[in-house]
Amino acid sequence: MKANRKTIIYAICLIAAIILPLVFGGNYFISLYGQTLINIIIVFGLNFITGLTRNMNLGTAGIMALGAYASGILYVKFGVSPWLGLAAAIVVGYLIGKGLGYPSLRVSGVYLSLTTIAFGEIVRLILNNTMNLTGGAQGLSNLSSYSIFGFEISRGLPFYYFLLVIMLIMLWISTRIVRSKWGRAFKAISDNPDAAESLGIDIAKVKVLAFTLASIYASFGGALYAHLMGYINPATFNFDMSIDFVVMLMVGGIGVVSGNIIGAIVVTMLPELLRFLGNYYQLVFYLIAFIGAIKLPQGWPAGLASLWKWIVKKTGLKSRKEG
Amino acid sequence: MGDILSISHLTKRFSGLVAVDDLSLTVKERQIHTLIGPNGAGKSTTINLITGVLKGDTGVIKFDGKDISKTPTYKIAQMGLGRTFQNIKLFGAMTVMENLMVGAHKNTSQGILNFLWNTKRAKKEEEEMRAHAEQILKQINMYEYRNDMVNELPYGLRKMTELGRTLMTDPKMILLDEPAAGLNPSERQDFIQHLKDVYDSGIDLFLIEHNMDVVMSISHYITVINFGAKIAEGEPKEVVNNPEVIKAYLGSRFKAD
Amino acid sequence: MLNTILQLAISGAALGFVYALVGIEYSLIWNATGLLNFSHDKIITLGAYIVAGIFFTRMGLPVPVSFVLSVIVMVVVGVLMAMIILNPLRKMTTIFTIMGTILFGRIIYEVIRLVYGSRPFTISGLMSGTFHIGSLAVAKTNVYMIVIAGVVVAALQIFMQTTKTGKAMRCVSQNKKASELMGINVKQNICITAAISSVICLIIGFMVIPLYNVTLTMASMIGLKGFAAGVVGGFGYLPGCIVGGIVVGLIESASVLVIPSVYKDAVAFLVLIVFLLIKPSGIMGKKA
Repeated sequence: MKANRKTIIYAICLIAAIILPLVFGGNYFISLYGQTLINIIIVFGLNFITGLTRNMNLGTAGIMALGAYASGILYVKFGVSPWLGLAAAIVVGYLIGKGLGYPSLRVSGVYLSLTTIAFGEIVRLILNNTMNLTGGAQGLSNLSSYSIFGFEISRGLPFYYFLLVIMLIMLWISTRIVRSKWGRAFKAISDNPDAAESLGIDIAKVKVLAFTLASIYASFGGALYAHLMGYINPATFNFDMSIDFVVMLMVGGIGVVSGNIIGAIVVTMLPELLRFLGNYYQLVFYLIAFIGAIKLPQGWPAGLASLWKWIVKKTGLKSRKEG
Repeated sequence: MGDILSISHLTKRFSGLVAVDDLSLTVKERQIHTLIGPNGAGKSTTINLITGVLKGDTGVIKFDGKDISKTPTYKIAQMGLGRTFQNIKLFGAMTVMENLMVGAHKNTSQGILNFLWNTKRAKKEEEEMRAHAEQILKQINMYEYRNDMVNELPYGLRKMTELGRTLMTDPKMILLDEPAAGLNPSERQDFIQHLKDVYDSGIDLFLIEHNMDVVMSISHYITVINFGAKIAEGEPKEVVNNPEVIKAYLGSRFKAD
Repeated sequence: MLNTILQLAISGAALGFVYALVGIEYSLIWNATGLLNFSHDKIITLGAYIVAGIFFTRMGLPVPVSFVLSVIVMVVVGVLMAMIILNPLRKMTTIFTIMGTILFGRIIYEVIRLVYGSRPFTISGLMSGTFHIGSLAVAKTNVYMIVIAGVVVAALQIFMQTTKTGKAMRCVSQNKKASELMGINVKQNICITAAISSVICLIIGFMVIPLYNVTLTMASMIGLKGFAAGVVGGFGYLPGCIVGGIVVGLIESASVLVIPSVYKDAVAFLVLIVFLLIKPSGIMGKKA
């Protein structure tokens, strides 16, 4: 019965995702929906390292940038198909995961956040200054879209549905991993590392795996982003962006895959909803996120659910008294 | 019978304090061996040294014929040395079933890439893990609690869950750090019975225990330490008659009748 | 050539002292609360805006008066920070402590942006000019920076060693639980620590005005490089921060001899990563 209800909810969400750009369309919004889907993918990845193993990754934007530029440079300078660019992005993500994961995950606590911040800054400096390859601060433009059997997936509706399909595939993969022995191992090493070790789990190896998955997702998402937008520049992939990804994770509830989707949608679309605030939008957004982080650490959906329960309980008591 | 675990001339100092002092002991296969000693005698340090949580200053520890003195904890566990903790260390945010399934993690062989491609094999592996966990849960009478969050269970059941999780690793031997602590007398009886069953299924046991009723009812062999050094060892009857042991630890209660 | 090297050494050391102060400023809070204050660069920026924006430019007060008044304001800022974020976050897990301080920093940033916009300004003539020693020309800014940092470090040292509050701070940094049991008011201790930290932030913000002007992002880089200083010297260890800061400053300064200067900023970050790779405990640290 309960499983049935879940299926119905998922089906409604999927239908909504399919209909949405047809109802609220326009180039700007459809592009925004596409970015939302990419953000969802990246948050799925971040969920492994920050959500499940509870290690802070603050370099997501830098990793995403390398994925975007890998695909972008291959296309612009060498005429390589964006499809191969996607494959290249996966390789890049894998290398970052292994290369950055081992040093910083040997030590615990804030060190990974520091390493990842430093990494993001180095990436941005390099992208800004290797003019010949990256186009410097201007970045790369005229990146083509993907094409299937000679037909281009043009930007707009087709590209949106293409991203939707990819997001669903990534959702399927993420859910499988979270529910498998891997997901349990990720949770175990953050929940009780001593116990995990006593069961023969190599904590460093599991952490690096989680981090590598996160960086592959981010790099892959970066490549999709490059070809969705058609242009990329270093300024896009700044520290604020890395923070936003963690905020998405926190909003949806850390460690919950469905929460990842909700968080990414809320944080990506919130600027549109708060547009009436004008210049004050960012202040309001950060205030909401800050209060949320302190007061609703289990995420907004779970927080709102318990608030709702509390209200029902209170009003329920009241009505009983009245009656 | 060979030796499953042997410690020779093990010493561990903590800035001046000698916690374990030139300790040598041998645990034979097919025996329930118990380490006893007064508070602060170095029992916990000894367990931490065996499991690799601490590294000894000098001395050699061999498990199953291999030197594990310098081996990291997780590798020792992979070699088949399971353990439980004095204060229970479970994965609080998971169910009983999930806790047990983490125990089986080290025995699974599928890598992540294969997991992604070969969904059939992944499914099969998961099923096998679950079946194994169900079987163990039935064995320790915990099957009905399989979907409960461990944080919500009473102490005795959490202790049992921890034993079940260790069994999932298919250990050759289990180190139990004060298994009877915190249990009421009936739970204790129950737990001892389960330990005997575990032993009968072919797993050797090495216990640290305070409760002399438990020690006397289960042990085949006892080593007594005080101030980090061995003061006596032998069969339970011999040990409780040893004057030095009585002086250091037991008092007159267990004097032979 | 020798002159170039000497000049690089002096400017490197001057920046190194700035990084050292940054290291001290967040290490104080780290020791008192176990939290890494990721909003510290925004506090530095806030300090600079208060002294240069409010008191000097808007109210037209002389620099010394502006500075003294700013000290008072920053003490209040520090206490507020302790009460609003440091105390509640102390009991939360790492992810929330990091994000809590980051978001707090973003809020400060947005407030400054809304009040002052993004147009940079400066206190003209502040610490400007050069000293001439033989053929060597040394910017006065660099000399002042070294002197101010030295005075701050010495004052802090005397405070920590001689006053009761300072001793309590040292106790808390060693063992929070024991300190609490021994009757030290940890909450109050955190307020005092945060106030001192904020004042140091103000001093940092003030002394880098001649280098970076007063802008929204004036402290982003020194904030991050201060973290590098902490990692290099040994996290949470105040003398380590000084050594680490100077090492980072000198390496960074010397790097322009071998690599294009546009990559100068990357050097500190590279040093941070390399240290985590080979010596995570830092030069002077005891353990990881």
